Amino acid sequence: MEGATDELDSRNRAGSVLGSSTTSDGDSVRPSGRPDAIRFVGVHKSFGRNKILAGLDMGLPEGMVSMILGPSGTGKSVCIKHMVGLLYPDSGDVLVHGHSVPNMPDRELFEMRKKFGLLFQDGALFGSMNLYDNVAFPLRQHTEKGEDEIEHIVMRRLTEVGLANAREKMPNELSGGMRKRAGFARALVLEPDIVLFDEPDSGLDPVRTALLGELIRQIHAEMLAEAQAAGKTRMPTFAVVTHDVMSARRVADYINVLWRGRIVGAGPAEVMLSSEDPFIHQFLTGDADGPLAMD
Amino acid sequence: MNELVEVPRDWLDSMGDVVRFGARVVGRVAGLQVLRYTGETLRQAGILIVSSTLVIWGLVFIIGLQCGIEGAYFNQSVGTPAYSGVFAAWCDLRELVPLCFGYMMAAKVGTGIVAELGSMRISDEIDALEVMGISGITFLCATRLLAALVVLPFVYLCSIGAGFLASYLAVVQQIGDVSSGGFFLIFWQFQNPPDVLFSLIKAMAMAVLVVLVGCYYGYNASGGPVGVGTATAKSMVINIVGVHLISMLGTQIFWGNNPRAPIGG
Ligand SMILES: Nc1ncnc2c1ncn2[C@@H]1O[C@H](COP(=O)(O)OP(=O)(O)OP(=O)(O)O)[C@@H](O)[C@H]1O
Ligand SMILES: [Mg+2]
Repeated sequence: MEGATDELDSRNRAGSVLGSSTTSDGDSVRPSGRPDAIRFVGVHKSFGRNKILAGLDMGLPEGMVSMILGPSGTGKSVCIKHMVGLLYPDSGDVLVHGHSVPNMPDRELFEMRKKFGLLFQDGALFGSMNLYDNVAFPLRQHTEKGEDEIEHIVMRRLTEVGLANAREKMPNELSGGMRKRAGFARALVLEPDIVLFDEPDSGLDPVRTALLGELIRQIHAEMLAEAQAAGKTRMPTFAVVTHDVMSARRVADYINVLWRGRIVGAGPAEVMLSSEDPFIHQFLTGDADGPLAMD
Repeated sequence: MNELVEVPRDWLDSMGDVVRFGARVVGRVAGLQVLRYTGETLRQAGILIVSSTLVIWGLVFIIGLQCGIEGAYFNQSVGTPAYSGVFAAWCDLRELVPLCFGYMMAAKVGTGIVAELGSMRISDEIDALEVMGISGITFLCATRLLAALVVLPFVYLCSIGAGFLASYLAVVQQIGDVSSGGFFLIFWQFQNPPDVLFSLIKAMAMAVLVVLVGCYYGYNASGGPVGVGTATAKSMVINIVGVHLISMLGTQIFWGNNPRAPIGG
């Protein structure tokens, strides 16, 4: 056990070589030259005696599709909840565009959350509304748009995810995959700066998974182009949480590998995928032999 | 022995949490933040009217009939059948209508809220709301409380009417020892407008309790579908006990020192 921890520490150091360096103004910058949209600094989190995050240092570069890759139960969903202030770290800090989430007063937190679109692990559609109303809900609550305009936006998003024909269906009449795609549409309607996906690929068949990955890439590219054309200061950042290495290969620009509450490796996708590091290699190839074991 | 102490201590602990939570919800209504979600408030009000009024009225009507029958026969036995109206005036207005209303609120509205909010909690819907920048406490709980405050006084006043009507039917039409005029003479002598107000206060205190307890147990549900079931059961116990306490306190405060009726002494 001791040995394993030591090994982890050295992985972590290896990871941070690939990870961020800090510029003189204190803003951390990726090798890609982009600042981090979201940054975890030494985050610890336990539930009772169950330690989930153990000094997590992680950055998600702005304007990219990042992956947080880790086996089931490592705390990926917990990680996402920290980003939007649904959970608070026991110690450490979470920065979103440089602002500390745990230290935000409630009012500011609610404002900050409007920058986010979040796709929950099983969609989290409102059971009392049909699909259309679910997707229209953020628009009705947060904008002054008329019903015509709302319908235009909603139908565009629903068409994108292939659910235009199911607009009147209630969430309990949808399959798990459909709920996920609907959650995706809902996460996008407000054109957020940061979109978080909690396991968009779990419970989908391989073809759907591939299509969804493609959709994520395509929508990111679209939003990026729109943001650049509009001269926005913030480029759209996508963070995809998954345990599926295949979708990481297809979708990611940047990969963080999370294991036992820490980042054991992080870097641009092409660097990570060709990594010689046995640990990362084992994880990314899904090999049974290697330093990773069931426990 | 320890376990015997443990259970009540748990209950007391959770009562503290309920009170704190309830205060937050009341704060969102009193602070008018809830007005941002008028649409949702109206929707909840509609749901209350459609799903609960008939049941409440029906239950109260049945109790009114029983009160009338017992009252009529009792007064017959002591040779004062004309005084049957006292039963309707007191038993209905002061005790049984508020209690029945409280029971039905707990059974129908309270458990409904726990089940609904609880399932929203465990399927991440409340988190989803919060992430959209909408406060769950305001959007889900304060709107329900406001809807109850807007709709229920009318529902309750009508249910008093249903109780009275039933007693009248039982005493005058069914048993018939007293004329309609004689019944109403006594009936009106033994109550006055403040009594209706006191009765309403009792009922609305129960309604607020039931809604807040329901919101607390639903909003804070955990442990999957089983957890929601357990929370529903717990809320029912607390609500029924609370309804009785409010009923007793109300009777003591409003009528304990003064029967507010033409009784010599
Ligand atoms: N609110 C909570 N209270 C107590 N324990 C929790 C809570 N949320 C998460 N956990 C624990 O944290 C651990 C990590 O959970 P999490 O949901 O983040 O895993 P995950 O990496 O998303 O896994 P999966 O790939 O299966 O979704 C689990 O052991 C879980 O039991
Ligand atoms: Mg998860």
